[in-house]
Amino acid sequence: MTAFKKIEENLRKEAKSLLESGRVALVLAYAGGYDEKHPVPYIAKTVADADHLVFNEYCTHNMARYLTRYPLGTKIAVAVKGADSRAVVQLIQEGKVRRDDLVILGIPVTGMKNQKTGEIIDTKTIADTINPVIHDILLGDEIHGVKTGSPYDVLAELESMDKDARWAFWKKEFERCIRCFACRKACPMCYCDPCFMDISRPRWADKSPTVDGTLMYHLTRFYHLAGRCIDCGECTRACPVDIPLYLFHKEVAKECEAMFGQAAGMNIEDKPAMADFKGEDSDQMLGS
Amino acid sequence: MLKKIAIDQFSELVKALMDRGPLYAPVKGKEGVDFQMIQDPADVTLDFYNTVLSPKFVFFPQSEDYIRYRIIQGSPEAQPVPLESRPAVILGVRPCDVRSFEIMDRHFLGAGVIDPYWKAKRDSTTVIGFAFDVTQPADPADFYNTFGYGAADPEGSDIFMIRTGKDLLFKGMTDRGKKLLDSLGCLQKGDDRDEKTFEETVEKGKTVRTRSAEIDDRVIAKKLVSIFDNGEFWQKVSMACIACGVCTYVCPTCYCFDISDETLFREGSRKRFWDACMFTDFTLEASGHNPRPRIFQRYRQKVCHKYTYHVDKYGCISCVGCGRCIRSCPVNIDIFGIVVEAGKL
Repeated sequence: MTAFKKIEENLRKEAKSLLESGRVALVLAYAGGYDEKHPVPYIAKTVADADHLVFNEYCTHNMARYLTRYPLGTKIAVAVKGADSRAVVQLIQEGKVRRDDLVILGIPVTGMKNQKTGEIIDTKTIADTINPVIHDILLGDEIHGVKTGSPYDVLAELESMDKDARWAFWKKEFERCIRCFACRKACPMCYCDPCFMDISRPRWADKSPTVDGTLMYHLTRFYHLAGRCIDCGECTRACPVDIPLYLFHKEVAKECEAMFGQAAGMNIEDKPAMADFKGEDSDQMLGS
Repeated sequence: MLKKIAIDQFSELVKALMDRGPLYAPVKGKEGVDFQMIQDPADVTLDFYNTVLSPKFVFFPQSEDYIRYRIIQGSPEAQPVPLESRPAVILGVRPCDVRSFEIMDRHFLGAGVIDPYWKAKRDSTTVIGFAFDVTQPADPADFYNTFGYGAADPEGSDIFMIRTGKDLLFKGMTDRGKKLLDSLGCLQKGDDRDEKTFEETVEKGKTVRTRSAEIDDRVIAKKLVSIFDNGEFWQKVSMACIACGVCTYVCPTCYCFDISDETLFREGSRKRFWDACMFTDFTLEASGHNPRPRIFQRYRQKVCHKYTYHVDKYGCISCVGCGRCIRSCPVNIDIFGIVVEAGKL
């Protein structure tokens, strides 16, 4: 793998050249935070801004999350790791961004670390997308020969539980939710405006943090992301109380992949599974 | 008079406190350590830096019922919920967080209207403060030195607790605290050496350095107002902000709440619950107009509320430098750095 320092150097160099030539108006990447372990998502607009860009193992944020802030037609360069690149593809599929507007700066990388725990995050998320699935410019060499396993391996424990135990597991997790909405706000696919949770007429879920309302929020969000979650893990890292949201998203993604034969954000030509109809689509939902 | 108990006898103290009423203390959970109402003395831990969530919920729960009602044809029934005044204890509050209670008092008790819900719980709760480990460096996010607080400052606590090698030392700081200490038979009297250790720890606490800057309440309050219209600055410092509510919910001094009637099958309650100025719908008006539709406007509101409006209204900054909003921010926004930068403009 290309060294982090070298990736950072390439990032700055490419950002400068893209901004200088006027090919893009913005570069979405990372800048230094209050210490090395806490880099901050950063939007470089000038060549001078590009000097602030950094890249290290703590740059876990998915910069695709910021793409939908800008009107179509804005020329943007975005730095993406493997899973992040799937978010870009998914957003293109959904018509939220246009391929022509983007310069995708791909970063093949392993060994990214959770800022809070220091643990390597590859195995829980981004399991088989170490290399960006789409790019215009690579900021490091593609990585080959790393055995990653299935992204769904981590589901074994939950899947071995019976229905009641699983329900008890999730109920306990959601009772800890403080309704800060960091999960939806960190999610590159949660761009609904307004989110159903912010609508007051009708009110879909209690505004106060009742357990019922919290379940309504999370379950709706999980299903809203069916066939769309690209497994970056940002929701889970954003959660201040460490609710393992990624497990639910993965379960839905796994079922979706089994039923419709495609994973979210892998191919720019695909249509989102829930927005497409094919004669041969699985009808197992109708059975039993 | 100093009291003490050996650390291996600590659960005796926890049991004695639980016998008197609700006890809130640090418990190791999945996300880290947080205050909980204790059911089992063995759950309490003293091995933590600081809690993920602030202890404010003991006085200001995330959700609290005012009135419970039933809608019966012709004659709805409604009962106010009795105020919660019980002899509670909160044990293990870090010095900076203890100061947050005093700041919240100014709002809930000193604004010309006394909030009975805050007051009932505050008046009936004994606060046992707990010194940081003064042999360890502060977390890099912390900046409580800025406000003049030390890592082992006993001021503001009813009782202040310090951990030595094998003992916990307790000093009564208020009459309520001294009374509680005197009533606890499981505690021993401390001797002169303990007194000395206690004082030395408090002094040593002053040498634990957090990030710090010269921030004068009145000066920064004026400065932020003067740059209110500097959109470039506010957009730059908030560009990463995703407008979630983490910073306000983990904050020990954020007190904004919403009120709503929530009814299910003809029964319901009027309640208040935390709200966050970073949310899109925080200032959304019934007309559909939103005076703060953009993230930078809401972020500016948050900083200015803490560092300007609170100073103007209550005479102090509403921040204690505990570092929670920074540690828990999904995108690592650092309010300390932003305020310092604003001060230099």
